[in-house]
Amino acid sequence: MKPHPYLRAYMAGIVVPTLFIPVVFTAFIIARFVYRVDAPLERIVIFPVAFVPGLWGLWNMLWVALHSRRRLPLGLHGAITPLAFMPLGLLVARTVGFEIPGLIPTMIAVVLPVAVILYYLIWKHVVGFFNELLGIA
Amino acid sequence: MNTQDDERLRRLLRQAIAPCRRRELDTDLWPRMLRLLGSRPAPRPWFDLALAALAALGLILFPGAIPGLLYHF
Repeated sequence: MKPHPYLRAYMAGIVVPTLFIPVVFTAFIIARFVYRVDAPLERIVIFPVAFVPGLWGLWNMLWVALHSRRRLPLGLHGAITPLAFMPLGLLVARTVGFEIPGLIPTMIAVVLPVAVILYYLIWKHVVGFFNELLGIA
Repeated sequence: MNTQDDERLRRLLRQAIAPCRRRELDTDLWPRMLRLLGSRPAPRPWFDLALAALAALGLILFPGAIPGLLYHF
């Protein structure tokens, strides 16, 4: 294996959410200032901008650390991610005082299955590609 | 810097940096490159395509879930 596998794993892991930050930020800005959504979205934007990329990097590092011991496919490893991130996201929203009335049941019923599917596909095909590119997989 | 200094510097550099012995590669890389260019990407498994369709359907039927998803990306 090439040197510094964990650093490589971190870098490969943060690519997708880092590319997604402008999209997320633009969506939040349009919702808040164009469509005048009556919710303090600027408070919760800290989670996708500051936390998510680092979490993806750390999650990929964890996969590299576990890979030698347990052969869990990368797609399945990524599919677990929303189960860990969603409670954290809700915790951050609550900490910054963002009210989410009635959102949690919807999240569990709709967002979670869709997120699990999307994360599975993204981790399997995109993060897997970057891992291969950086000589990790 | 005079000519003697130049010569001394050249000598020191030759001593410090070992000469490159292998000037050519063992194999020709161009055939491998051609094979890569000619090869088709592996087809996506049908299961992954079905999952992508399912996720797209979920987002079309429940567009209210999109902000929640964006929040976690």
